[in-house]
Amino acid sequence: MRILFDDLLEQLHVEMIKMGALCEDAITCAVKALLDGDSEMAEKAFAAERAIDEKEREIEAFCMKLLLRQQPVAGDLRVISSALKMLSDMERIGDQAADIAEITKDISNEHMFGKLHIKEMAVAAVKMVTDSVNSFVKSDTNAAKCVIIEDDKVDALFLRVRSELISLIAESPENGEYCIDIMMIAKYLERIGDHATNIAEWVEYSVTGLHGSER
Amino acid sequence: MTGKIFKGMISVAVTVMLLCAIFLIGILCNYFNSLVFAEIQNEAYFIASGITSAGDAYLDDIAESENRITIIEPDGTVYYDSEGDAETMENHGSREEVLEALESGEGQSTRQSDTIGTETLYYASRMEDGRILRVAAKVDSVWVLVLGVVHPMVVVLICTAILAAVLSSRISKRILRPVNEIDPGSAELREPYEELAPLIQKIRTQNAHIQKQMQELKRRQTEFRIITENMSEGFLILDRKTEILSYNSAALRLLDVTEEDARKSRSVLAVNRSESFRTAVELALDGKHNQQPMASGEMCYHIVANPVLHSGLVTGVIIIILDVTEKEKREQLRREFTSNVSHELKTPLTTIYGIADMICGGMVKPEDLSGFSETIRSESQRMIALIDDIIKISRLDEGTEKMEQCETDLFALAHNVAQRLSYAAQKAGVTISVTGESAVINGVPAVLEEMLYNLTDNAIKYTHENGRVTLTAGQENGRCFVTVEDTGIGIPLDAQERVFERFYRVDKSHSRKIGGTGLGLSIVKHGAALHGAVLSLESTVGSGTKIKVVF
Repeated sequence: MRILFDDLLEQLHVEMIKMGALCEDAITCAVKALLDGDSEMAEKAFAAERAIDEKEREIEAFCMKLLLRQQPVAGDLRVISSALKMLSDMERIGDQAADIAEITKDISNEHMFGKLHIKEMAVAAVKMVTDSVNSFVKSDTNAAKCVIIEDDKVDALFLRVRSELISLIAESPENGEYCIDIMMIAKYLERIGDHATNIAEWVEYSVTGLHGSER
Repeated sequence: MTGKIFKGMISVAVTVMLLCAIFLIGILCNYFNSLVFAEIQNEAYFIASGITSAGDAYLDDIAESENRITIIEPDGTVYYDSEGDAETMENHGSREEVLEALESGEGQSTRQSDTIGTETLYYASRMEDGRILRVAAKVDSVWVLVLGVVHPMVVVLICTAILAAVLSSRISKRILRPVNEIDPGSAELREPYEELAPLIQKIRTQNAHIQKQMQELKRRQTEFRIITENMSEGFLILDRKTEILSYNSAALRLLDVTEEDARKSRSVLAVNRSESFRTAVELALDGKHNQQPMASGEMCYHIVANPVLHSGLVTGVIIIILDVTEKEKREQLRREFTSNVSHELKTPLTTIYGIADMICGGMVKPEDLSGFSETIRSESQRMIALIDDIIKISRLDEGTEKMEQCETDLFALAHNVAQRLSYAAQKAGVTISVTGESAVINGVPAVLEEMLYNLTDNAIKYTHENGRVTLTAGQENGRCFVTVEDTGIGIPLDAQERVFERFYRVDKSHSRKIGGTGLGLSIVKHGAALHGAVLSLESTVGSGTKIKVVF
């Protein structure tokens, strides 16, 4: 019975890894679409987002089945409940990646990137998502802590991009629309950073039983 | 074993005891009964003689006898009974002992009495007057005797049980000790009892069998490990749940994971979850053989995933990871080369075509004709030089032609080249000089001269007027070398790595004016490789370049 349950938990772990990998794909493609203006990448981001939604429902049903049929307690319950929480964060990352990809379709002023820190921000956000998924895969609380610290960097970059955009609009009001689009993307990236932080916190919770906000 | 022996002993003891008791009781019973018979026979004899001598009055004297005395008339009616009223008694003529006595003078019988546990022995004899005198004695039955024996028997049984327990445990221990001392794994098996010989023999043959199988398994394992470990390709075996069953060190290297990680993680997806890897695994689990390209950083991999089928079901996946970085790079270079060659060839051709078109259309005045034909000539020259260079480089590339090696003096070669290029140097206003000493190496003179020519030609081309080009040949640390040094424009640091690439130009706009094919230094690189020489480049922008070839 216990062996069967362990197998099911392992299956959940593998499915979660796949979900995390899909998130990485989505955000990586979206950022590539943004930085290289590659519309093919945007399409790939949309495809990944659809796959993420499907996977989310699948894993959710699987978790419910585990909860009802196995009635887990203690550590097992923690693993499943944190998986459920992570699932919604991952799904949001997928959505926001798709949103970014959507906006990139309308942006053409790539030369502007030079003046803004949006590229650094995108790279940092992608790294956060990758690291948070890594910390989940290895159940590594140290890596999770690093991700949580990393979020401050993305937040700082967001404020920087914001002020850069303000001065850009002040300089040349005709760039307004473009600036608003970039602002939206920056906000999405900042949110993705937050979701990656959440994932890292749930990784900590599933391992230690303590959630970040409890300390 | 102790239990078995104990049970056996107890059952033997009980059986023996019961048999003894039965025999004893049977014998004793008979003996007692015969004693009682003898007694009542005697009594009957005395009473009979008493009655004969004293008459019936004698009967009153013997009333206190403990045996019952009965006198029966020959017709069976009871005349006298010492314990009952003779009048009321039934006819005794049909009693066994009475009938016997009537017939033969005396008779006896045994009958169960009304009281439980006793029986009555009768003895009857015919007196002289024809009446029958019967004496009856009551004795205990066999069962009473048996009951009497039960108590001591139980005590004996308990004692036997205790004794049996102690003995059986000792005996079993003693019997078992040699059996316990048998080591089934040892090479020298000796049977402690003859009875165990077949078992020991069986163990022996099985031991040998196991040993053989283990060796075979070990051999196969080593074989498998040798094969997989010496593969430069990564090799992974996964089960249906993507768990890693086997891997080789190349796989760890290519996937960039530590051995510990690979051991710890149950699913291969925990090791690598990139899109192409996932797709490869998933497709293989669906039973489809597939190949996927995978990029990781600057490295390019090729993943081949095969499903493992067992009776129509996918039971696992075999993954082979190939490092194709080098191949991809070469492919890239080849593509670049082709596109460069076509471009370089097309440029002069376009010019020639354009001029020819103008001439055909009669748009060229006769006095301009010589200018145009000069352009056609120089462009064709350029094309010929280019094709010449391509042929040279492809020869060096493929090494198809066996090149004769002979002793060549680099110093003499340098003089030769300086001589050949003196006109060009003069035209460019560059002084060319040769220094050093004789340095003889074993090499292909044509290739060496070509190399030196290209280097010097380049040096002259990229040196301003009044500049200087110096060729030096000599020996250093036992190795021959030749350097070409100029005071030219120099090569920027980021371009220094790439100047030996085919068609690479530091300044593309400038190169057209200077001429050349863009293949010169590439030919030098290939020539150096042919001779196993090392090329080194020192250059500072604005002050000059020094290229050294050490053989």
